[in-house]
Amino acid sequence: MTATALVTTGKPAPRKKMTRKKWQTVVWFVALIAITLVVIYPLVWLFASTFKPNSEFGQNQGLIPLEPTLQNYATIMEGIGGVPMWRFFMNSLILAVAAVVGTLFSSSLAAYAFARVKFKGLGIFFSAMIGTLLLPVHVVIIPQYIWFNKLGLVDTFVPLILPKFLATEAFFVFLMVQFIRNLPRDMDEAARIDGAGHGRIFWSVILPLIKPSLITGAIFAFIWTWNDFLAPLLYLNSPENYPLPIALNLYNDQTSTSDYGATVTASFVALIPILLFFIVFQRFLVNGVATQGLKG
Amino acid sequence: MSTTETRRVVTAQGPGRPARPKATPAQRRRTLRETRAGYTFLLPWMIGFLGLTVGPMAYSLYLSFTSYNLFAPPKWVGFENYIRLFTDDPVFVQSATITLVYVVVGTPIKLAAALAVALLLNYRDRGAAFFRSAFYAPSLIGASVSVAIVWRAMFNTDGPVDSALSSVGINLGGWIGNVDLVVPMMILLAVWQFGATMVIFLAGLKQVPKELYEAAEMDGAGALRRFKTVTMPMLSPVVFFNLLLELVGAFQVFASAYIISNGTGGPAGMTNFITLYLYKRGFSDSQMGYASAIGWIVMIVVAVIAVILFRTQKSWVHYSGDDR
Amino acid sequence: MLRTTKFLAATAVTVAGGLALAGCSTGGGAGDGYDPEEEITLNFAFWGNDERAQLYDQAFEAFQEEHPNITINSSFLDFPGFWQKRQTEAAGGGLPDVMQFDYSYLRQYAENGLLLDLEPYLGEEISTDSLSDQILDIGRVADGNFGITTSTNAWGLFSNPKLLETVGVEDFAGGTADDYNQWIIDATKTAQDGGHEVWGASDWTGRIQLFELQQRAKGEDLFTEDGEPNFTEEDLRAFWEQGSEIREEAAFPAAKAEEVFPLGGFDTAQVLSEGTWDNFGAGYLANLGEEYTELTLQAPPVFEEGAQDLYLKPSMLHSVAATTDHPEAAAMLVDFLVNSEESGEIFGTNRGLPASTTALEAAELDELSQQIKDYEESIADRLGDAPPVPVVGYGTLEEKFRQIGQELGYGTITVDAAVEQFFSEMDATLN
Repeated sequence: MTATALVTTGKPAPRKKMTRKKWQTVVWFVALIAITLVVIYPLVWLFASTFKPNSEFGQNQGLIPLEPTLQNYATIMEGIGGVPMWRFFMNSLILAVAAVVGTLFSSSLAAYAFARVKFKGLGIFFSAMIGTLLLPVHVVIIPQYIWFNKLGLVDTFVPLILPKFLATEAFFVFLMVQFIRNLPRDMDEAARIDGAGHGRIFWSVILPLIKPSLITGAIFAFIWTWNDFLAPLLYLNSPENYPLPIALNLYNDQTSTSDYGATVTASFVALIPILLFFIVFQRFLVNGVATQGLKG
Repeated sequence: MSTTETRRVVTAQGPGRPARPKATPAQRRRTLRETRAGYTFLLPWMIGFLGLTVGPMAYSLYLSFTSYNLFAPPKWVGFENYIRLFTDDPVFVQSATITLVYVVVGTPIKLAAALAVALLLNYRDRGAAFFRSAFYAPSLIGASVSVAIVWRAMFNTDGPVDSALSSVGINLGGWIGNVDLVVPMMILLAVWQFGATMVIFLAGLKQVPKELYEAAEMDGAGALRRFKTVTMPMLSPVVFFNLLLELVGAFQVFASAYIISNGTGGPAGMTNFITLYLYKRGFSDSQMGYASAIGWIVMIVVAVIAVILFRTQKSWVHYSGDDR
Repeated sequence: MLRTTKFLAATAVTVAGGLALAGCSTGGGAGDGYDPEEEITLNFAFWGNDERAQLYDQAFEAFQEEHPNITINSSFLDFPGFWQKRQTEAAGGGLPDVMQFDYSYLRQYAENGLLLDLEPYLGEEISTDSLSDQILDIGRVADGNFGITTSTNAWGLFSNPKLLETVGVEDFAGGTADDYNQWIIDATKTAQDGGHEVWGASDWTGRIQLFELQQRAKGEDLFTEDGEPNFTEEDLRAFWEQGSEIREEAAFPAAKAEEVFPLGGFDTAQVLSEGTWDNFGAGYLANLGEEYTELTLQAPPVFEEGAQDLYLKPSMLHSVAATTDHPEAAAMLVDFLVNSEESGEIFGTNRGLPASTTALEAAELDELSQQIKDYEESIADRLGDAPPVPVVGYGTLEEKFRQIGQELGYGTITVDAAVEQFFSEMDATLN
């Protein structure tokens, strides 16, 4: 029983619904603004503290700096240990973009196999894939490091990028599996009747329909890679290769004096590219999915 | 009864495997084709799985039965690590306890908050973009040292939280120094970073065909009814996904605990969640064998939970793609 | 700075290869002798922050002038990150040629053959004229000398003169542990009565170093040469009992300490007196900010009259990886960083008070550093022989001690339970 073609075009809303809608909208805005204020406050605090001189951090926990200064921004612009700030940004960017490409590529392929192809061993491998979600990463990190080191790939980006192309993060595979499974099979079957094989169905039918999950996946892959700390720490040696999170920590050191001002400022500045990234891409989530095309 | 009313559909266990009595040659050929296709699509994942996951996992299982300090070769000790964990390690007991509290209490709160806000944002698209970004921003700050600086500042004595609560008569003082309030503080940190979960719910909500809502509305269903009969069932795969992942993620909470406590797990071990404890044992104390044992215990617990969840999904999760 | 950047960048290409080579090289990299014509690249790792990185850049430039054929590839991390990195390198093969080293890890790395024995290079590439025997002895463990002490420090008691004045309390005038406890109680009372949120001191029984002092005053180090514990549960219990007097009221509350963490009560001007390693003074002043410009430094409380319980501990050493391809060049670099006048001038007291007399003389000592130098001279009579190189896992025990101290402060654990836990931990760590 397919969904009947209830294509509503215009919305002839009766008069009383319109004023109720307006009132609803106002409440909606108010609620959202209230939540926003609470959620955003810590970030506002962070922003304000980028103008605090270093010494204020122990003593002044309030919002407003007692002695506002731009020194922190000047400090971080100088970079660290002779490596300019933009270099760290570039490293982060390269890693993040590569991660997005690799992740979407490998995860969507694997997800399609799990969700749409009836092959022998599917159940076992699916359980195995879910199983990898459960693995605390620290348990496998040493053996992985030893292996990459033997291949001479330490201090390169390879150990950081290769896993993304091999769908090692089950989160993305699972995410797409759930979305693909949720798609009615009508179009698949229609395409198969037209003689399409799995490859064609994957490319022309499924991929366009799971755009929200692809976008979501892309956003997460980008952001998580941008913020990843442990793997770059282990695999990268030269400061020129450091991505932002490692570089940020270089302002802080327990055994010498720490520069909290520079740390928060660098964090804040690091926040901006990914915030922009998110703002640009999250618009795609609005357009939803073309189930409108799935009529009888 | 409307033709578009959604019904709970009982799906087969596991993704798309129908029961087959006997295979004809044509069917066998089809199976072979399917299998070939399946493995082709699965190839990248397979390489990663075997090379980067299975191998290291097997090695870590082996390590859990050894005493290994990274310098000398591992020394076999049998079940000693496991025995010590359960009989002579009060830190492990404490760690397991606070982790369970964090998971059991924190996960529902975070999911509820994420879903509530996603529903709110789904209400209308105009103007939502700004709020979406605002709610997601906390997740962007990641696991940087600044999170520690900011969050501690929020929960200090006379800090914003303390002041806000005091103004309505609740005088708790600083949370960060109060051993009883540290875990709630960490839960709130997780909830604050609900953006990712919210985004997934939002993507799921967007995938719900508008026609279903309109049809239900035509039938006279109010907002609550529509939520129960359209939204929730259509959203159930995503709910399942988020639930599983949040539970697993909560068990593996590490980065936030590490940076807030500066790697110590303090105060008084109240941020020493199980993965942080594992990490300290492995990397700070160089007891990789013991750490691996902890890791495997965590994995088993999480695996049991996952199995339970998967078993129960038949009764509440509805996959439209499985509709025949 | 730009020149150095290009200089570092130009040689960065060899890093991956260099590490792989270092990992692949077999027997102890016994060089074929040093050839001043041969182009050599050395990998160097240190912990620290941006400030120290800049100092190193300058040092390497100076070294480069003397040895134009040697290029140095340096990398750095914060202290915990540094050791995480080293441990993974140790497991996977490929420690850097030369590195800053920490006393608590020396035994572990040396006993496992990861470090180069520098004994053959002493007097040759590494000049010993300005390093006393006592200093050189520090790095001796496992039948060799595996680390050259770069700077030393001793345990001392800091106090904040301006804060003392503000709250109207006289500084501690020296005395026994009981005297000190009494002073803390009185000081806290006076300060609090005057309306100041200030305490005399933190619970000093939370620091293992003071337990060590108490034991050494009785003539016993914490651990024997072979790494066996040299104290009983009774000793530990008695030590922690001493703190119970002040833990209730007079000591800086654990909750407050947690709030300002990773700073402490002293560097947030809430505590009048604090014991710590003497070279932490600079950090205190920096954290206290512009309001506070000086500190007083005196000897810690006496446990036993006339005992030589204090000692000079290396705050930093330099070591060479056993797998290095260029041992002579590496030794030369160590010599430069430890002994040379240039390094003394460049670093000053950034790495602590220089152990080498030439470096110390060349270093420009600011007021605080001068105070530290004077302090170390003033306690000469109380200085005993250094204890054996810390046992493997000492870092873990130190941290456990600190955590237990914190829990005692919170009252979440009794002294008996604490003793039991510590001994249980020690048992697991040492075996």
